[in-house]
Amino acid sequence: MFQNRKEGFALALPAALFIGILFLLPVGILLSEAFQLDGGWSLQGYIDFISKPLNQTVFLRTLKLGFLVAAVSAVIGYASAFCIVNLDPKSRGRIFGMVVLPLMISPVARTYAWIVILGRTGIVNDAIIGLGLSDTPIRILFTETAVFLGLLQLFLPLMIISLVSSMENLPRDAISAARVLGANWLQVFTKIILPLTKEGLVMGGTLVFTGSLTAYITPAILGGAKVLMLETLLYQKVSVSNDYVSASIIATILIAMCFGTNLLLKRIATARE
Amino acid sequence: MTEKWTSRLILGLTLIFLIGPFLIIIIAGLSAGQSLAFPPDGISLKWYLKVFEIESFRDSFILSMALAIFGTLIALALGVPAAYALNRYEIPYAETIKTIVAAPIIVPGIIVGLALLRYLVLPIGLTVTLALFFAHTALVLPYAVRVVSSSMTNLRSDMEEAAVLLGCTRLSAFFKVVLPNIKGGVLAAFILGFVTSFNQVPVSLFLSGPGVRTLPIDMLAYMEITYDPSVAALSALLAFLSVGIVFLAEKFLGFSRYV
Amino acid sequence: MSSPYILLKDLTLAYGDMVAVPKLNFSCDKGELIALLGPSGCGKTTTMRSIAGLLAPQSGQIYIDGKDVTNVPANKREIGLMFQSYALFPHLSGFENVAFGLRIKKLPEAEIVEKTNKGLDTVGLLHLANRKPSEMSGGQQQRLALARSMVMEPKVLLLDEPLSNLDARLRLEMRAELQRVQRETGITMIFVTHDQSEALALADRIVLMKDGLIEQIGTPDELYNKPTSVFAADFLGFENIFEVSNNVIIGDAGKMSLDFKSESGHLAWRPSGVKIGQGKYKAVVKSVAFAGERREYVLDAEIGVIMADVSAQKKSYKIGESLAFDLPKSEAHFIEQAS
Ligand SMILES: Nc1ncnc2c1ncn2[C@@H]1O[C@H](COP(=O)(O)OP(=O)(O)O)[C@@H](O)[C@H]1O
Ligand SMILES: [Mg+2]
Repeated sequence: MFQNRKEGFALALPAALFIGILFLLPVGILLSEAFQLDGGWSLQGYIDFISKPLNQTVFLRTLKLGFLVAAVSAVIGYASAFCIVNLDPKSRGRIFGMVVLPLMISPVARTYAWIVILGRTGIVNDAIIGLGLSDTPIRILFTETAVFLGLLQLFLPLMIISLVSSMENLPRDAISAARVLGANWLQVFTKIILPLTKEGLVMGGTLVFTGSLTAYITPAILGGAKVLMLETLLYQKVSVSNDYVSASIIATILIAMCFGTNLLLKRIATARE
Repeated sequence: MTEKWTSRLILGLTLIFLIGPFLIIIIAGLSAGQSLAFPPDGISLKWYLKVFEIESFRDSFILSMALAIFGTLIALALGVPAAYALNRYEIPYAETIKTIVAAPIIVPGIIVGLALLRYLVLPIGLTVTLALFFAHTALVLPYAVRVVSSSMTNLRSDMEEAAVLLGCTRLSAFFKVVLPNIKGGVLAAFILGFVTSFNQVPVSLFLSGPGVRTLPIDMLAYMEITYDPSVAALSALLAFLSVGIVFLAEKFLGFSRYV
Repeated sequence: MSSPYILLKDLTLAYGDMVAVPKLNFSCDKGELIALLGPSGCGKTTTMRSIAGLLAPQSGQIYIDGKDVTNVPANKREIGLMFQSYALFPHLSGFENVAFGLRIKKLPEAEIVEKTNKGLDTVGLLHLANRKPSEMSGGQQQRLALARSMVMEPKVLLLDEPLSNLDARLRLEMRAELQRVQRETGITMIFVTHDQSEALALADRIVLMKDGLIEQIGTPDELYNKPTSVFAADFLGFENIFEVSNNVIIGDAGKMSLDFKSESGHLAWRPSGVKIGQGKYKAVVKSVAFAGERREYVLDAEIGVIMADVSAQKKSYKIGESLAFDLPKSEAHFIEQAS
């Protein structure tokens, strides 16, 4: 550690100022706007916003999809991560690379693929008609299912990465020992794996949940105007109805949910049994 | 043995779910027909070639490239000194500075775009391009600080002191001794920042004006007009580009250890 | 009388509010080899860093060669420091590591090559000039660090625990190496150690430190034979130290009368000074360890624990056996310090 506090401060200051002035300041003003009505501070904007049924639907849907995506990705994530850490080092690196790869690809491209899969003439509908399950194509695109699938594909890698890195510290012997002592796999999971990988689960869960809450492209492309989520609703408020107050309110709700999730899950992760 | 096959099945299905869609758009882009379909109506390269003829794609590609390159460079210019200071110096308000610098990761991008539009572009008359540039730089900065920091923690600070005792100033010690030893981390930060910026959508959503659109936004706009296979072809090309960059970075840098 | 080459005057060193070294005063002559000895955490590294200019003192002055260098920045002080971790530059070859400072000085290339090669040769590393530090052994890395400091021809060479990262055999080798380099160049050296035998073997003078204060300064002979405080005596191997008052030894467990006259203060015996098998005191063997030439006993006596080590040739005692022992006057070292 160097002693010259001024020198160090001067080195760190430009980055902090850049973000503080060009990023946090405008965002802060935007958020404060949601608490202002007729020149005074007020929560009236929120009360009006929440009292509209459409807004309630969108809010609850956003939460629901966030939970679902986080929960399903946790299940798939545990299964995949457990398989990955038990591979030999070489194939492990390769498989892990393939899991990470989608993160580097444009989310537009990642979401666009689902149009080809779920559209009226997409693979799934071809299969359904081919198998005689239905005469006419059924609508999958612009449903919650489509948004769910899109979000799951987008964020599953984050869950797998978090779980793999926390499982790397899992003592392999503990599992064998528990098996020898007669524990079944469910017991092994709840008594050993889960407690020891709690941090990874919480970290992955936070990333996936907040990621789903704040995703724009997926609900925009796969949900459209029929399956609005908070982000797409915010976009609509601004670009269609020029309603900046509602936009600020949605922004505040989104940020509050993200920070809330971060704090809550961090608390859970560090809680002692 | 059944365990081994169960494991393969699980991983196989997961990978099909994660990667399969890309294979599908690559193939869908090869269509010879007029509409997006899988399997495609015949095979041709015409949509892949058409992508290059669409003028707005060309312009937005250049803008996205410029934002990604210069935004990330500026982010590094700000982030490397900050990472160095946070690692090496006892500085006042270190925790506050860390929180501020990490903030762009947590704040949803769409809000940032909106905030910059409302309070920098509209009232002050900042150009949309400049606002985009600020937003992308801010967005990449946390990653730059984090990646560079992690490559610096393994580097003991007495190396710089040794250089100083051999006659260097603190600044020249940084360039002669620290930088050569973290250049892998800096390059990794550049690549990560580049990819993050290039693929960014929500931040840029509200920051577009006449003739100023990032490529992903332009693709979204194009999709609203038509579902022809050109967006599939372009998506496939972009996927190849990212994968290629990351592949090279992994091969020469061991990129994944920095991410 | 010439002024001292290095002079530390009322030097106070602190980390924030925590004072690590209060009011240190010390001086040494040109060409001396000084050992800073003391337990871990007593402020040795802190003192070195301030001499080198890496840590600004809270108050006090540092003079080198008659000049006040307190406010001279580290890169202008012309002081070499060999770090405990060596602090070699991992991205540079052995040659470039040594040439580093010469290049900063912007010497002509021919001179850089000549000096660097000579420096490498002096420490026997010329054949490894093209290797990176990571491709060298611990001992080679250390000699590289030594060469890197020495080619700069510093006014003073400071070495922080130069031998503590080496295994026993290499440590002896490096000890000889340091002595040789110092003798050949006549450079003023200050080295830090927490190992008394290292300090005794190498130094012209030893500075013994405790809690940031100098406990005693003297030649190895003086420190070894005439420690002036209980702490110094304990640190230099007097393992049996007792308070004495009115010719009675006052130990942790009880009292015993002395069979010779002594002033009040402390008396100390090395384990080798304790006689076993005869004498007026009684003890029970608590443990015994065989160490080749010697046998090391821990005895349970009336005044407390006594450490004794005697020739392995002599009669041996088992654990639990009673024996007679003596604390002879001839081996006793008197310390004036009261409790
Ligand atoms: N960077 C630092 N910040 C705060 N206290 C320190 C620092 N370095 C050392 N100290 C404290 O100063 C005292 C002296 O340390 P040091 O000089 O390293 O001891 P030595 O080298 O004799 O083992 C110790 O109590 C140590 O905890
Ligand atoms: Mg030390």
